[in-house]
Amino acid sequence: MVEKITVGHVHMSGCTGCLVSFVDNYEGLFKILDNYADIVYALTLADVRHVPEMDVALVEGSVCLQDKASVEEIKETREKAKVVVALGGCAAYGNITRFCRGGQWNQPQMESFVPIGDLIDVDVYIPGCAPTPQQIRNVCIMAYLLLKGTDEQKELATAYLKPLMDLAARGSDAKRSSDACGCDLMYDVINQGLCMGCGSCAAACPVRAISMEYGKPQIERDLCIKCGACYAQCPRSFFNFDVINEFEGITELITGVME
Amino acid sequence: MSKVVEISPTTRHEGHSKLVLKVNDEGIVERGDWLSITPVRGVEKLAIGKTMHQVPKIASRVCGICPIAHTLAATEAMEASIGCEVPEDAMLLRYILQCANRLHSHALHNILSLPDMYLPGTDTKINPFSPEEPVRSVGLRIQRLREIAQTIGEIVGGEAIHPSNPRVGGMYTNISPLAKQKVYDLAKEGRVLAHEHSEFMIAVFRNFQKRDWAEVAGRQIPIPGDLGYHNQGYMAAAPIYGSSSMDENPTWFPERWTEVRPWDWYMGEEEITLEDKDYPVGGTTPAGEKTWPQMQACTGVPLYDGQPVEVGPRARLVQFRNYDEKGAMGLQIARQMEYEGCLYGIMEACDALDCSGKVLADEIPQGDGSLGWAANEAPRGCDVHLAKVKDGKVRWFSMLVPTTWNFPTCSRALTGAPWELAEVIVRAYDPCVSCATHMLVVDEDKRIVAQKLLE
Amino acid sequence: MVLGNYKTCVAARSTDKEILKGAQDGGIVTQLFAYALEEGIIDGAIVAGPSDEPWKPEPIVATTKAELLAARGTKYNLSPNMSLLKEATRSYGLDRIGIVGTPCQMQAVRKAQLYPIGMRDVPDKVALAIGIFCMENFPYQSIEALVEDHCNVKMESVTKMDIGKGKFWAYTERGAVAQIPLKVTHKYEQPGCHVCLDYVSNLADVSTGSVGTPDGWSTVFVRTKIGDDVWSKASAAGCFETKEIESGKTGLELVTKLATDKITKNQKTLEGRATFGVGKGLRNPYL
Ligand SMILES: Cc1cc2nc3c(=O)[nH]c(=O)nc-3n(C[C@H](O)[C@H](O)[C@H](O)COP(=O)(O)OP(=O)(O)OC[C@H]3O[C@@H](n4cnc5c(N)ncnc54)[C@H](O)[C@@H]3O)c2cc1C
Ligand code: SF4
Ligand code: SF4
Ligand code: SF4
Ligand code: SF4
Repeated sequence: MVEKITVGHVHMSGCTGCLVSFVDNYEGLFKILDNYADIVYALTLADVRHVPEMDVALVEGSVCLQDKASVEEIKETREKAKVVVALGGCAAYGNITRFCRGGQWNQPQMESFVPIGDLIDVDVYIPGCAPTPQQIRNVCIMAYLLLKGTDEQKELATAYLKPLMDLAARGSDAKRSSDACGCDLMYDVINQGLCMGCGSCAAACPVRAISMEYGKPQIERDLCIKCGACYAQCPRSFFNFDVINEFEGITELITGVME
Repeated sequence: MSKVVEISPTTRHEGHSKLVLKVNDEGIVERGDWLSITPVRGVEKLAIGKTMHQVPKIASRVCGICPIAHTLAATEAMEASIGCEVPEDAMLLRYILQCANRLHSHALHNILSLPDMYLPGTDTKINPFSPEEPVRSVGLRIQRLREIAQTIGEIVGGEAIHPSNPRVGGMYTNISPLAKQKVYDLAKEGRVLAHEHSEFMIAVFRNFQKRDWAEVAGRQIPIPGDLGYHNQGYMAAAPIYGSSSMDENPTWFPERWTEVRPWDWYMGEEEITLEDKDYPVGGTTPAGEKTWPQMQACTGVPLYDGQPVEVGPRARLVQFRNYDEKGAMGLQIARQMEYEGCLYGIMEACDALDCSGKVLADEIPQGDGSLGWAANEAPRGCDVHLAKVKDGKVRWFSMLVPTTWNFPTCSRALTGAPWELAEVIVRAYDPCVSCATHMLVVDEDKRIVAQKLLE
Repeated sequence: MVLGNYKTCVAARSTDKEILKGAQDGGIVTQLFAYALEEGIIDGAIVAGPSDEPWKPEPIVATTKAELLAARGTKYNLSPNMSLLKEATRSYGLDRIGIVGTPCQMQAVRKAQLYPIGMRDVPDKVALAIGIFCMENFPYQSIEALVEDHCNVKMESVTKMDIGKGKFWAYTERGAVAQIPLKVTHKYEQPGCHVCLDYVSNLADVSTGSVGTPDGWSTVFVRTKIGDDVWSKASAAGCFETKEIESGKTGLELVTKLATDKITKNQKTLEGRATFGVGKGLRNPYL
């Protein structure tokens, strides 16, 4: 058997929902762990207490600037992981921690929570709250192919991951916004003359903040939690023909890998 | 003279916490402090000024393992504050969610506890991810039970994690007859699996009870017969669901609740004087370093009738089913005894559910600032949310979540155990630490709260 | 490649008179879903059902033939069928979903399957995606303007709308037919359609449209394994009358020409967007 990749789960200020989602691959989780990836770090699942070297770090949660341990751990993660994945809305965009403003006992000074891209370079984003088991699985498989696959597989993995890397590049670039919100549909799709009224955004939203009114999204901003799912799901945010046109083959590949 | 050892971070539970233990020459804990070191996101404070519809969505996100409990407790606290009666079919859907959440959570917890346990009749510890039998079949059964629970949660709640269907006033949508049939069929399959599984798990925990020693850090550590015993009381609002201030006869009493600051409760600054490099994996905190629990703890200490109480599966069984087994394994076993009830609960609620019944209240008042509370029996215990809503906006919000109740109780349960087994005790509580970040509500005289709230 | 990958291309129409009566063209969509429903290939289908406003579609999950029939016919305005894709697997309880949509909606389906960012447990539940051809779509108010102002017909009394032979047609209850040239319709088009690079639903399992076949017939592309499977079973079961697609000017050649025209035109739009403004540009969704 080919060598496995090593994967870690790094828990910042998140709710563990992202990790639960990974575990929600059910039988597939065993498949991944038997054949493709060893979990070398995950406080919730294993006894390793300090961040080790690893191929892929799945980081969940945003970073509290007033918690030294968190800041140290995210820096250490960047040093020790070849690929850093922002797993879920909190790590990628801040999500609900964007609303934090401190004032709560026993640590009222903890008021600043930032997406991990504000402190380190991030390679891949998986938006959403929670990110889905299938999206996490796909990223794991592609990361495996990227690191251990044939040239052809590497090419596919690169093409597949590119849009998620572009989201990460944008999020990690201080000059461009790393904010996420239903408003992205306004700014980057409708205001740009690109919306075609498919309704993907409304389906994607995990808090039912989007309804379709006369074929266009209406965003209830007082419900939005800033997870980034709607925009990333929109076919007019990114659409890579070279990958999506091959949906039949790629679906077969993924099914095959998981069998 | 006693020595101080620190295990930080603790593992195989949700969130970040640590153990600071004063031990005697034999390594037996004389005083244990178990505390949350998860950064405080301050949900109770950020809620102020937000809409009553958004806050439950945010509250859900304090925990991804029991998000349903937080969503329901927060939603119902809002409803209690504004005085909104929810249609019965909506309550049935919520009941199904509640059961599904408990099923998935208990099953997940099995994965986290098993590595401390031994395959009965052997000296082999269980690695739940091992592909070898008999462990793999157990692992697959756990995952199938979780899949059943999460799928039911997804059908009824809209999302498997952080449900989207519940809302203030009821639910966004009822489920179709086809969906109900699917839920029912899944529950039926789950009932059989749950029965087999709880028997297996109970056998594993009983086996641990009977053992003389457990291997930790390459040593054989004697297991005391009273591992994890404490003399605190229990608190539970219901066998399955919960209670709220809307009830005619509420089963939780805000006036019995008070709180203490960590400063008054936890240990002061201590120097680490005992270290063990072999403690898995990565060792305990090096000797010479400082630790300061009363400053570092991220949660307050809630009391019921002036004492810490235990909440969770055992508390429910003690209160409603005459269960009386103490200790860490007694708690683990109580948890396994709740498995089947989750599935019967789902089937009963399905039978009662009218798929064409309305699930949203006709009128949703905007609130006048009255206090409302809801106590939800989350997988790990009673989860009480309290809210004041005025003109549709949250003016005050508080979450007394299960693990916050259990921190001080479990800390006491550490006394008398070998320090190497402290984490085994902690894990019996299925700690869910991220959510356990709760504000103190102390008035100027350091008294509570409750009277003031109830004005 | 303007027509996408396909295994077969035929002219076809449903053999069910009832379906044909209210169908837009050969009743392919309704017939195929009805067959798949009956055979348990799908548990339900997301289609553009009726709403409270005349000719404004409302996405619905149809689980009976009656519901499919009520959703027949083309509504030339937005039906956000994707908005129900996840919910179909939730409160509706579907495990095998059928969905119909325009080419962009088929793109949305495939993106949801390959990048299920907010679509947990959806990817493997799409059992049959039927695409329709599409040159452009309109906001509801545009259709109101075209029908009521330009065709001088009340929305309520229209029985069918169609675009074909260079014209927009509105048929009414009393048999009257109003038509206007397409040059009038262009300004009313949905802006997002001007960057669209797919005419014949390249990413569907089966795609169909009127162009390329005589009135009352449909052009059908069978594209994927899933599509091939359902199509051959349905054909074998006698659901469809088929004939060879013409290769000439009114047949496949015309489909190719229209597809090429659309793509060329919209590629130009994309190029223009890249330098829109002064030293600025608008976003290209395909990069
Ligand atoms: C906006 C639009 C533009 C079109 N442009 C062309 C064209 O340029 N050339 C061409 O050959 N064909 C075009 N068509 C397709 C054509 O009008 C017929 O829909 C197609 O041939 C199917 O006919 P049928 O008899 O097989 O389907 P039917 O059996 O009549 O079923 C049609 C199905 O499509 C669904 N539907 C109707 N309106 C919409 C909508 N707005 N969005 C999503 N689903 C909908 C209905 O609910 C129904 O299920 C267009 C369709 C639309 C909606
Ligand atoms: S993204 Fe959602 S699921 Fe993940 S940590 Fe944040 S709140 Fe939890
Ligand atoms: S997902 Fe569809 S409806 Fe939503 S913004 Fe994007 S194109 Fe428009
Ligand atoms: S609108 Fe919904 S999907 Fe979009 S960012 Fe907000 S919460 Fe997420
Ligand atoms: S022209 Fe393209 S974008 Fe517009 S509705 Fe048709 S398929 Fe969608």
